[in-house]
Amino acid sequence: MTITRWLALRPLLRSPGRTLASVLGVALGVAVFVAIRLASGSALAAFSDTVDAVTGRSNLQVVARGDGFDETLYTRVRALPGVQAAAPVVQVTALARPGGLRPAAAVTEGADGGPRYDETLLVLGLDAFVEAPFFRMELASGERGKGSLSASEGEAAAAGLRLLAEPRTIAITRTLATRHGLHVGDSLTVLASGVPTPMSIAAVIESEALQQAMGGNVVITDIATAQEVFGREGRLDRVDLLVAPERRDSVRAELGRLLPPTAAAELPQGRTKQVENMVRAFALNLTALSFIAVFVSTFLIFNTMAMSVVRRRRDIGVLRALGMTRGAVARLWLSEAAAIGVLGSALGLLLGTLLARGALRVVGRTLTDLYLVAQTDSLRLDPFTLSVGAGLGLFATLGSALLPALEAGATAPGATLRQGQRIESQPLPLKALGVAAAVSLALMVASALWTMSTHIAWGGFASAFFAIVGFSLLAPGATLAMSSLAAPLAGRLGGIEAALGARALREAVARASTVVAALTVAVGMLVALHVMVGSFRRTVDTWITQTIKGDLYVEPVGHRTSGSATSLPPELVQGARDLPGVAAVDTYRGTPITMNGLLAFAIGIDLRVQRDHGHLSFTSGEDAHAVLTRALESGGVLVSESFAHRHRVKQGDTLTLPAAGGAARVRVEGVLFDYSTDAGAVLMDAATYAKLWNDDRTESLALYVKPGANADSVRMAFVALCGPERLMHVTPNAGLRRRVLAVFDQTFQVTWALQGIAVLVAVLGVVSTLTALVLQRGREIGMLRANGATRAQVRRMVLVESGLLGLTGSLLGCGAGAVLAVLLVQVINKQFFGWTVRFQLEPGIMLQAVALMVVVSALAGLFPAQLAAGRAAAEAMREE
Amino acid sequence: MNAPAALEFENVVKRFAFGETDVLAVDGVSLSIAPGEFTAIVGRSGSGKSTLLNLAAGIDTPTSGEVRVDGRALASLDDDALTKLRRDRVGVVYQFFHLLPGLDVRENVALPLLLGRARQSDALARADALLAEVGLAPRARALPHTLSGGEMQRAAVARALVHEPRLLLADEPTGNLDTRAAAQVIELLRDIGARHGATVVMVTHSLEAAAAAARVIEMRDGRVVADRATART
Repeated sequence: MTITRWLALRPLLRSPGRTLASVLGVALGVAVFVAIRLASGSALAAFSDTVDAVTGRSNLQVVARGDGFDETLYTRVRALPGVQAAAPVVQVTALARPGGLRPAAAVTEGADGGPRYDETLLVLGLDAFVEAPFFRMELASGERGKGSLSASEGEAAAAGLRLLAEPRTIAITRTLATRHGLHVGDSLTVLASGVPTPMSIAAVIESEALQQAMGGNVVITDIATAQEVFGREGRLDRVDLLVAPERRDSVRAELGRLLPPTAAAELPQGRTKQVENMVRAFALNLTALSFIAVFVSTFLIFNTMAMSVVRRRRDIGVLRALGMTRGAVARLWLSEAAAIGVLGSALGLLLGTLLARGALRVVGRTLTDLYLVAQTDSLRLDPFTLSVGAGLGLFATLGSALLPALEAGATAPGATLRQGQRIESQPLPLKALGVAAAVSLALMVASALWTMSTHIAWGGFASAFFAIVGFSLLAPGATLAMSSLAAPLAGRLGGIEAALGARALREAVARASTVVAALTVAVGMLVALHVMVGSFRRTVDTWITQTIKGDLYVEPVGHRTSGSATSLPPELVQGARDLPGVAAVDTYRGTPITMNGLLAFAIGIDLRVQRDHGHLSFTSGEDAHAVLTRALESGGVLVSESFAHRHRVKQGDTLTLPAAGGAARVRVEGVLFDYSTDAGAVLMDAATYAKLWNDDRTESLALYVKPGANADSVRMAFVALCGPERLMHVTPNAGLRRRVLAVFDQTFQVTWALQGIAVLVAVLGVVSTLTALVLQRGREIGMLRANGATRAQVRRMVLVESGLLGLTGSLLGCGAGAVLAVLLVQVINKQFFGWTVRFQLEPGIMLQAVALMVVVSALAGLFPAQLAAGRAAAEAMREE
Repeated sequence: MNAPAALEFENVVKRFAFGETDVLAVDGVSLSIAPGEFTAIVGRSGSGKSTLLNLAAGIDTPTSGEVRVDGRALASLDDDALTKLRRDRVGVVYQFFHLLPGLDVRENVALPLLLGRARQSDALARADALLAEVGLAPRARALPHTLSGGEMQRAAVARALVHEPRLLLADEPTGNLDTRAAAQVIELLRDIGARHGATVVMVTHSLEAAAAAARVIEMRDGRVVADRATART
């Protein structure tokens, strides 16, 4: 231990700058991984907690496979043998704000100083008479001014009765009451299909679990009130059951026979599992990206340890001469790396936890937008994620230190290689590296082809990994080539110091090429993501522009929160059709469905309007008019490309849909391009939907304006038609396009943050390696100064070297980026999401990446350059 | 009017701080070396002789006292002016040669001229001429690690003289060479210095090397303890 402390730990303290760079590199890698895992884990945990809280003590549930089921099912379920208790539930998510109805509500929410509905509430409609065994309705009367909200049993019963007896009353959580200073007797206004509906607070919820669910944004109301307010008369979303544990399986089996396709018997954890499945691809892709920073930091550690071996070669020789074994020397270096790993991991966990809060906000928003998982701001410090993060940091550090440690161990006893005489410990096996690169790139191609034929998604990640490794192995060759090509040119343009800077790359090719490899990976991923996201964005943009042809899109405020618990009055829909200037109105309604255990959406639209006014685009390239006419005639459906991919269906196949009226067999008439959800959608005519789901609601509208009519006048007329009591979003075509692209851009925010950190780690590598090289070349720099080189010339020499590192890394990175982009678009994206993305390589992005990295690397060289220029020549020479 | 001394030290003191202790490397040295003189500074390790050489080259600054080269006080020059002085008037040869490993011999020799922005063709032509003078013309295109120690030091001497310095400083130029090579280098320093009209100051602890000089200054503990002319005067 003493020897380890003397020989492994002290050197770390003697070079605090270099140690700090390495520790920071590991820390950033670990932090990114931990932040992403904690954020997505917290979002899912919050969801799972909410599910647990709202299911109370139920140990089996009948859940709707879409937009609710008929409430008569409840009595049949309750009567099953083995069911000890059953409680019907209507559950709706809705926008709300504290306070009562204000006069003259604005038609467009939030506009012109109108009220904002900032709270997202989970509204539970419960039946007070059957709730007792589930312990959800622990209510207090919470009289105004009492100061304490604790409940006696009598109070709870009285509060429950008030919910039942008084129309439009609710109970809210203590958390929500405290946040807005609400008391019993105050009002809370919820949006139901865009209509602000004031609800009077009759009681306060005491249940601790519900204080945590959705951050306390839970309200309970009588089940009949919930059905009435949200237009769900006769429908239930769930029946929660208490069954004797030993009879649970038999009850479940019995339910399987009893339930219609719109309902299923599930364990309470089932919903969490389904959401986990839904967001898995998203979370997995983010996790894979977060590994890039860790990967880049391994280059940094490798360089630090390898340089430490070269610098202390003489010391190692002495130690070996004094009797230290090869193994002991290697272990010494591994101990040094372990110290860096431990410090880096600890700092990384700390940083990661801090970063996770920001990541949670962004990841949570995306999960809300894409998968309707409610936003949370409470971070769970999951010990497993933290342990994996720490292990990853330590493993990456030790792994990258292994080769240098073995090299240290291989030093001959008494080696006295003159310090600084040779920067490289041994010549690089260029030929072997080239062969390894070729093998790795061949494996990349093989695994990409294998993935495309087997559809096994992880094969895509394997091919990306082989691409990264292959291009990293090309770094030494690229560095030497750059040095040879750049030296004469640099000499002509920038004088002898520039030529020396270029030649320095060759002198220190092993170290320089490690930095080049780190830059290659960081830039490669940056370019690949840019190309992928850019191609994807253009594809989506083209898709919106070509297919979304409606002039005005109309939906009630809160539609995106409440989803299918939204309906517009039929007279409003008809009124819109009758407006002057309106050529046609398309109607939309949808419901989530589960097929083959996967979530998808069944959507009803007006196929006739789509055929005559819309512009859907099909993967077969077939004319939309023909496909839609066929679908209208046969009563068949259209499926989105992602649905076709996930469920392996194609045009002409027959699908069995879990419809409300029973399993329905429908023919797939076409596969259409659609980028609105990766879960996949089945589109059918409104009439077919109404028949299959016994549902003729309309959630939202698209208005087509007659040629020559003014869209703005139509908009004003429609707003007048809605009247002041309904809050509607009326969005012109361009606005919808902007909104879709805004959600798109937001989805990739985390991606850019991850990439930025990977680039930062690579730049840390440039600073750390150049600083070490400058210190190692102290004598050479001293000689140059003694022979008349000015400080400015020395500075320029180092800056040229760092700029060329950036240039080499970014050029190679562009090559890697182009290949990775193809893999991301054609292999990974295709296997995970099933979307066709029109690949488009942008040279502009590559030019920008090269320019950026040359400048950033040159900037990273400033400190080492200053260090080199500032070192007194005599000091450099004295070191000999 | 007399020409100024090629190199003058006036009551020069140089202290180094090593942690909490101060080491007096040069302790009040005053001496003057005339133009064209070949002087050897001798002494044991740590006697301050190399520090004195670094002070003369302006790559180190005295703690107190004044160093003058060709009558110009180095303390009055800023870093750029000092660099220019080294580039124009001073050449330095080191014990470990300090050739850049990535440049071939003639490029190494041409380096000071190129740093001074001479045309590449002129610099290389001048390097070739000097390499011929030190007997290394056949090895002009070789990389330093392929040369013997004596050859490397001859290349270093050529590099130190390539810009026609008035003052040639040599720090233990034979310290890393065998006897035969050492003798060749000393002879080269003396002859070539005389041929180019340079003042040569050589730090050495080799008595054989010192014997070639016209004047020998002996240092001990940072002070000059003896200053004598030799038979070669």
